[in-house]
Amino acid sequence: MTGTKRGSTGQIGARRKRVEDPRLLTGQGTFVDDIQLPGMLHLDFVRSTHAQARIAAIDTSEAAKCPGVVAVYTAEEIHGFVPLLPGPAELPGLRAPEHHVLANGHVRYVGEAVAAVVAEERYTARDAREAIRVDYEPLPAVTDMERALEADAPLVHEEFGSNLAFELPLGNETAAALEEADVVIQQRMLNQRVIPNTMETRGIVADYRRSDGQITVWLSTQAPHLIRSLLAELLDLPEHRLRVIAPDVGGGFGAKANLYGEEMLAVALAKQLGRPVKWIEERQEHMLATSHGRAQLAHVTLGAARDGTIRALELRILADMGAYPHIMTPLAPLQTAAVMTGCYRIPCARAEIQGVFTNTTAPDPYRGFGRAEAAYYLERAIDLLARRLDLDPIEVRRRNFIQPEEFPYSSPTGYVLESGDYEVCLRRALEKVDIGALRQQQGRLRSEGRYIGIGFASYVYRAGFPSLPKLPRTGFLKGGWESAWLRVDPMGKVTVLTGTSPHGQGLETSLAQIAADELDIDLEDVVVRHGDTASIPHGNGTMGSRSLAVGGSAVLLAAREVRHKALRLAAHHLGVEVDAVRLEAGRAFLPGHPERAISFADLADLSYSFLDLPDGMTPRLEASATFEPHNWNAPFGTHVCVVEVDVQTGEPKLLRYVAVDDCGRAVNPLIVEGQIHGGVAQGLGQALMETVVYDSEGQPLTVSFLEYATPTASDMPTLEVELTETPSPLNPLGARGVGESGTTGAPPALVNAVVDALAPFGVEHLDMPLLPERVWRVLHEAGAVR
Amino acid sequence: MAPSHFEAPTDVEAAIALLSRRPGARPLAGGTDLLVQLRLGAATPDLFVDLKRIPRLMATSLDSKGLTLGAAVPAAEIVENASIRSLWPGLVEATALIGSSQIQGRATWGGNLCNASPAADAVPAMIVCGAKIVLAGPGGEREVLIEDFTTGPGETLLERGELVVEFRVPAPAPRSADAYLRVTPRSEMDIAVVGVGVQLELDREGRVASARVALGAVAPTAVRADAAAEALVGSRLDDAALDRAAVAASTSASPIDDRRGTAAYRKSVVGVLTKRAARIAYERAQAR
Ligand SMILES: Cc1cc2nc3c(=O)[nH]c(=O)nc-3n(C[C@H](O)[C@H](O)[C@H](O)COP(=O)(O)OP(=O)(O)OC[C@H]3O[C@@H](n4cnc5c(N)ncnc54)[C@H](O)[C@@H]3O)c2cc1C
Repeated sequence: MTGTKRGSTGQIGARRKRVEDPRLLTGQGTFVDDIQLPGMLHLDFVRSTHAQARIAAIDTSEAAKCPGVVAVYTAEEIHGFVPLLPGPAELPGLRAPEHHVLANGHVRYVGEAVAAVVAEERYTARDAREAIRVDYEPLPAVTDMERALEADAPLVHEEFGSNLAFELPLGNETAAALEEADVVIQQRMLNQRVIPNTMETRGIVADYRRSDGQITVWLSTQAPHLIRSLLAELLDLPEHRLRVIAPDVGGGFGAKANLYGEEMLAVALAKQLGRPVKWIEERQEHMLATSHGRAQLAHVTLGAARDGTIRALELRILADMGAYPHIMTPLAPLQTAAVMTGCYRIPCARAEIQGVFTNTTAPDPYRGFGRAEAAYYLERAIDLLARRLDLDPIEVRRRNFIQPEEFPYSSPTGYVLESGDYEVCLRRALEKVDIGALRQQQGRLRSEGRYIGIGFASYVYRAGFPSLPKLPRTGFLKGGWESAWLRVDPMGKVTVLTGTSPHGQGLETSLAQIAADELDIDLEDVVVRHGDTASIPHGNGTMGSRSLAVGGSAVLLAAREVRHKALRLAAHHLGVEVDAVRLEAGRAFLPGHPERAISFADLADLSYSFLDLPDGMTPRLEASATFEPHNWNAPFGTHVCVVEVDVQTGEPKLLRYVAVDDCGRAVNPLIVEGQIHGGVAQGLGQALMETVVYDSEGQPLTVSFLEYATPTASDMPTLEVELTETPSPLNPLGARGVGESGTTGAPPALVNAVVDALAPFGVEHLDMPLLPERVWRVLHEAGAVR
Repeated sequence: MAPSHFEAPTDVEAAIALLSRRPGARPLAGGTDLLVQLRLGAATPDLFVDLKRIPRLMATSLDSKGLTLGAAVPAAEIVENASIRSLWPGLVEATALIGSSQIQGRATWGGNLCNASPAADAVPAMIVCGAKIVLAGPGGEREVLIEDFTTGPGETLLERGELVVEFRVPAPAPRSADAYLRVTPRSEMDIAVVGVGVQLELDREGRVASARVALGAVAPTAVRADAAAEALVGSRLDDAALDRAAVAASTSASPIDDRRGTAAYRKSVVGVLTKRAARIAYERAQAR
């Protein structure tokens, strides 16, 4: 593969500590809430306390009188200068409701913004918010998708006549294959609604300079350039006078890849009022008003031959659109359908998708977006199949794996897998857990009344989206390409600008490693900058596990160009042909003639002086590059989870967790492992404890960390992570994505392990989260406990 | 909204005077319950009386009779005290479960008890140790058994102007020991779905001479389960005795269904934990 050379400084593949960490760990990071501007105003919101209601009246008079309050707004007052939010991506037949920044006479989920207050102080705004009185006429609400599709269900949007947002079939015919299959398993599986809970909530500071119309926005976002384009388009602002800065960002997980109403309003108000406006989301607001994740339900049908060869897979997917789907909300089930056949050769596959409106917060991308759901359904279904056929679940996986020589492999749902070696990950994982010994132990303990379970998940997903001309308008995603700029200053130090927008992924380190490796200089001599539309011409941000494979490839291309230019300049300086010069360890030289050399720093200095350049060469060692992948890359791996279930209390206890993941070339294995650790923790969180619960009136009951548990360090076993490196042919780095591997592998591995532990009791499936009581209940029903 | 007043008295008398002055006055110990309630609008005090500047409430003294511990001593100090840990391992186990390291730097026994949550972890453990509290108020001081102090969720014997000054835990008898267990979905920073404390005293033959069992999160307050305790007395903790104790514990539980667990689950698990905590207490007592 690839023409990547390894520099003598060996940066690619080195376990470098993250250069951003000292800043972040010592409190020297700059987050949006650290931005203080003179004269800054504070924005706050009144939010709906009802899941569905008509607004009879809003009384803002008391709030307006509070000292320090500058203005109070309802839908009516912002009508003239704040447009509607962009609707969902235009899928065929999709019904898109109007999405107002402030509710327009009707609220449709708890947490929907109803009124806004602007005040001199943050606490004044909060007090004033409490002084606003909203008169609601409550209406019946529906938060459950199955209920929402019943004929007599309350309607989220009356004008549509039903809660069906869209229907879409994908894939080929499965009926005949299912008919002919020896066995068919069917299971309803819930991929429950979760809350992203980024460590830093959302936040914005917007500043408008009246003298020249310059607008500067500091935003906790994953995609500053996309947000800039959206803001410019929606608010009719000149894009070149709009600057969006993503300073240090405390996590996104997909939930900060979108433009929200609060943010658009803050920008509009900064302009309207002529003073900077700040809004910082509270945790409770985050749980209500930032997009949620997953919220899918699937009826899974899998047909196979007696020997375990899979013939057909069918998913009937209900995808929750919330009340007001965001741009990417309807794309989640399409992603699920695209990768639904996973790492397996499944000739017939079909997804019947229904998008459903409910009186809830809209789901949107969440680490694993659509693809983690697919892996969950399939990996669970394979275990069900193995159980039915009394086959080893490992064997069933093996038997159906797409083999390395079968790539590129076109799935029935239209995804072309470029390459892979699924067997290698599975084998390494089995070796690592010592599957033979483990199974013996399992048998022994079972006879003592202790229940160990071993769960497997072999996954593949798609990462680093290409530009998608054939997909219907995906709103603001302009393309799958990424850009990089690299410039060498006169002292030989390097600045890399990237259009990705890292927010915890360690890209300041790994992108620097790529540049340092190519130029063969020290890592300390490279600085990576990102997240400012004023210094970085364009980019597509960080999401969908794209930044290293796509953004890193752009850095590599820019570094290559600079390297060639440096070599040409060195050759000119040394008076030889380019081919005779080597660039290594911070200097250019003539092999065999150590005295005929020039340091990289001197070369850089030389490049700034026009007189010393060869004919036709422009000054300065610098280059820009764009990399466009022509397909998604396909990260894959196998996770093995070992649990012991306390059958008396239902508590699953994690004994071991082995993850063998392949992200192609691992530029920094330490960072890759960190991504796996975080992702596995997050995935186990979904599998074990996270869930959004609504009561019958549509009130969310899980709106603080008191009621919504996420795992802590003490819930995690020691993770045993190993990487295999099967290079991707899709980019010059040979890299695949990795950010979503953990959340994709962990839920099925954990649930499969618990279900395996409970096999003696005839338990075949359990829906997440596997709270102790849920596990206890099936045992109770099976008569295993009193 | 935050209360408009904050006072930090340095002796008990001054605290009583402040607490008596306004009906909306509330003692503030670690604040790990109170500040959360404040934010949720569940508490609306107009005066905070900080207890952490009062030396008597911050004092620890241990002698042959037992432990006297100020009501505002942070949990971290209790958990890190090796002598307390070796004498009352169950009580310390329960204390160590409260929140996280950060929470334990602030949280107190006084707050855990006076907050009067049925799920408070330290309370069943205190009950089985036979602990008492000293209350001080405008009418003087009085001593109350822990199990008599809480009268319902959020309700206690505290009268206006009164506060808990200190805990008195009698020294464990020879060949006796305690244990505490709970079930939560998350291993820390979570609220008990069920909690059980057991204390056993053995005779020279290794039979249970006396026992105490207390249950958390299965009734409006932490409750003693005397029938369960009696089922263990006279036994060497054989399966039959344990089963009887488990059934008795389930029977004496009167839990409700809530988001954290159904009554059926709690009734079942409270029996399981009773057995397990009894086994641990038994082993510890044997080792003494
Ligand atoms: C993240 C988190 C996790 C938690 N986890 C647990 C857990 O696992 N288990 C558990 O049991 N609890 C838990 N808690 C609850 C809380 O930490 C404990 O109940 C703690 O012991 C309360 O002590 P405090 O000193 O902070 O009480 P405060 O909040 O200061 O007071 C609580 C109540 O008691 C009153 N009070 C306090 N001291 C006195 C006194 N001396 N006399 C009279 N009244 C008094 C106060 O007025 C208030 O009404 C958790 C809390 C948080 C925030």
